Amino acid sequence: MTKHQTDFAPSGGSTVELGRRTFLVSAAAMAGGLTVGILPAEQAAAALGSRNPGQQSTGAEFTGVVSIAPDNSVTIRTVKCEIGNGVHTGMAMIVTEELGCDWNLVRGEYMPPNRNLRENNLYSKTGGLAYFSGRSTGKEMMEQLLQIGASARERLRVAAATRWGVPVDQVKAENSTLTHAASGRKLTYGEVASDAAAIKLDAEPALKPKSEWTFLGKASRKRINMQHILDGSAVYGLDVQVPGMVYATVRHVPAHGGKLKSYNFDAIKAMPGVRAVVVVDPAEGGRGLPDRVTAPMGMSATTNGPQAAVAVIADHFWQAKVALDLLPVEWDAGDGAKWTTTQSIYTALGEAAKDTSRGNVLRAKGDVDDALKSGRRVEMEFMTPYQDHFLMEPLNGTALVTADRCDVWISTQHAQQAMYVAADETGLHPEKVHVHATYVGVGCGRRIYGDDVRTVVAIAKKMAGKPVKVIWTREETTRQGRYRDIAAAKITATLGDDGMPKAIDINQAASRPIGRNLTDTPYQFAIPNFRGRTKPFATNIMTGPFRGPVFVSNCFFLETFINNCAETAKLDAVEYRRRLLANFPDKGWIKTLDEVAQKANWGQSLPRGTAQGVAIGNWAMATTQDGAPVPFSGSTVATIVTVEVSRRGNVAIPRVDVAFDLGSIINPDAVRAQMEGGVIMALSSSLHEELNVANGAIVEGNLDGYRAMRQADPLMPQEIHVHFGGNSGHDRFSEAGEPPMGPPPPAFVHAYFRATGKWITRKPFMKYMG
Amino acid sequence: MAFDLKVNGKTVSVDADPQTPLLWVLRDHLAMTGTKYGCGINQCGACTVTIDGQAARSCNIPAAQAVGKSIVTIEGLSPDRTHAVQRAWAELDVPQCGFCQSGQMMAAVGLLARNSKPSDADIDQAMNNLCRCGTYLKIRAAIRRAAELV
Ligand code: FES
Ligand code: FES
Repeated sequence: MTKHQTDFAPSGGSTVELGRRTFLVSAAAMAGGLTVGILPAEQAAAALGSRNPGQQSTGAEFTGVVSIAPDNSVTIRTVKCEIGNGVHTGMAMIVTEELGCDWNLVRGEYMPPNRNLRENNLYSKTGGLAYFSGRSTGKEMMEQLLQIGASARERLRVAAATRWGVPVDQVKAENSTLTHAASGRKLTYGEVASDAAAIKLDAEPALKPKSEWTFLGKASRKRINMQHILDGSAVYGLDVQVPGMVYATVRHVPAHGGKLKSYNFDAIKAMPGVRAVVVVDPAEGGRGLPDRVTAPMGMSATTNGPQAAVAVIADHFWQAKVALDLLPVEWDAGDGAKWTTTQSIYTALGEAAKDTSRGNVLRAKGDVDDALKSGRRVEMEFMTPYQDHFLMEPLNGTALVTADRCDVWISTQHAQQAMYVAADETGLHPEKVHVHATYVGVGCGRRIYGDDVRTVVAIAKKMAGKPVKVIWTREETTRQGRYRDIAAAKITATLGDDGMPKAIDINQAASRPIGRNLTDTPYQFAIPNFRGRTKPFATNIMTGPFRGPVFVSNCFFLETFINNCAETAKLDAVEYRRRLLANFPDKGWIKTLDEVAQKANWGQSLPRGTAQGVAIGNWAMATTQDGAPVPFSGSTVATIVTVEVSRRGNVAIPRVDVAFDLGSIINPDAVRAQMEGGVIMALSSSLHEELNVANGAIVEGNLDGYRAMRQADPLMPQEIHVHFGGNSGHDRFSEAGEPPMGPPPPAFVHAYFRATGKWITRKPFMKYMG
Repeated sequence: MAFDLKVNGKTVSVDADPQTPLLWVLRDHLAMTGTKYGCGINQCGACTVTIDGQAARSCNIPAAQAVGKSIVTIEGLSPDRTHAVQRAWAELDVPQCGFCQSGQMMAAVGLLARNSKPSDADIDQAMNNLCRCGTYLKIRAAIRRAAELV
């Protein structure tokens, strides 16, 4: 039995598991689902631009996922939203492998969650992370998409064979063209699409084995939405225009969890364009979902419950913003006020980590206490702060609520969750809620649970019948985050005569106390005595998933500690890891490490002040029920960071090398982009980013106080080399987005130590360097 | 109060407080949403347009100050996505989420207008926009490529 660590897993859901056969229903059967009237709001959505994914084009439908138009264009509708990770492109590629269509004719749209619901959750079997959010390459998702492609292709072949009066096996389908070799006849997919869509196959075609793939994993494909980005026509949530809409901007209680005491609308009433002030009151609560219906990602006060807020509604955003800045508001900070300073939190967190009298033991073997009594001792204390996603696109959304319908246009990572949150907030049945997803200006976990959706709907419902676009200012987006979890650890080891760890004792405390990439490390197979313990630590500040939750902190703790063990033992840190991993059956780890070491020329002699550091980690590795790592799971990444420290102490990063084992991949350039971007986000957040707290409220609001890496940052890595030679080719297709967030920071710290003799044990590194 | 702006070669009339930042006039009054809001305080560059050929961060410029000048936004960069910067961006597959990229491309246009062969240091200095997806190295390469394509 294995399980994934499910710290933010879907809560089951209202969706129905359907047989494999069902999603292949023909267009005739689907037509019923399409006869719903087009309402004004849908027309408005269509007006967004013919090339944006929320718009629904027409064409012969093979299932809701694939339509082919007479002009031969292929539309592939995906349940996942494009957040920059290329998922929209990836899913279309998977269908293309079996469909055999011309990639240049493919475009992407979204599957509206409401349609999915009306059609019995046909396109989202599990309803949770697996379908409406996340990557393109989950096993079930891939099989479903490949089968859809294969089924459509077979029906096209049957249609062509029927038209020509030849046996089907003489019809070849390739590159959007059907060919009968003997007679030299040809038809395009588009020419027979409507015949084909009406055909029902007796049996579903078998899928090609992976070894026969001609498209996936071969050449890279550019993102299918490139053209919209190039000319500014890509519509993000912030860009939605609904006829007749008004604008709102919102301010929440600065101390998370606090209350609104009072405000004075009269003070701003007469300002130009101002229409109203509305209050979001958590005490009102959601209206609830119908019986036995639950949201795929659940509902809770901190994940998507409302926070106390006031919003000004005006004719234009700028009018609303100017008025809100002048609106007198008094807040009651509530319990959060006890966290007077950031230091008060760090002190309490550090103490929690060190407190060995309590804690949840996630993993224990051997006699750690006894083995810690002798041998060379290594001991370190670590801490990581709250950090903001700092999504490029500030939070926003547009909603139109009437007595019997709710429309929401939003940048979201989970359009289905958004539908349920809007249903809960309005009390409307989910069938009456229409979420029109847009492109997304970065997600990273922030836009999954739908707290933004709730606030938008809570404001718009007070202006029933009027579309309201709600925009959080940057400051409000930052101060009302669901941040990277705060974490601290004390790790102690004793080394044996060979310099390898005899015992390691890990004591961690975190706002999400999980042991991913810490207590489940495969190193433990080479360490006779090993214990990993975690404790929950909470303040009023809310946290949430952020590109590799807790993994990022844990990887920093563990890898820095292992590097210190190796340096203390005067052993090479790459070789040290090879020995620690020698007993682990998943050789992808060592392969990845060897690949990066070789490509980065590890061990080369470098000028004074320049040094390399190494780290490895695995995101989303499965664990056994007793917390041991499961081989051949998750995404392994190894990194070597080269650091230059000048005599004056100026630090630069001339080069970063990355290797990985994701198992298999479908689009090499998309993987490369995720790795490069991940390295930069990881270094940005680890070097610079920290949110401070004063009286329970976040201090930083914008880039003047919160430093995120920009083009001219002196610490910008000057080169990033992504190497593919570590990939094992194992059957899994693991995520590429999260894993590069882990190893680069500890590799930087290791290089910095080797250049300066100083260990950095806390983030942000810049604060503790020099 | 109504006033005229010259945007992408056309003169348009706007009825807004002339102190409204140009960014919000473009977005809310003219429905030209290719120009993005990222920070509103002249830091991130998402709102970059060119004014009389120079890159300018529109969140920090009252619309009144742009009256009589020639404003170009991403929508007006070329009729068919064939400006050298757009071609370079496509060739190198620069964008990830894309949200920062209008501003990145317009900043690149401004840079290349005054420096046809920028060095890496020139690029870093002139751009300094935020890209949370981390496409900086591709942006640098794409600007060098665009300089060749001009
Ligand atoms: S929005 Fe203008 S610089 Fe950030
Ligand atoms: S491409 Fe996403 S912020 Fe730059």
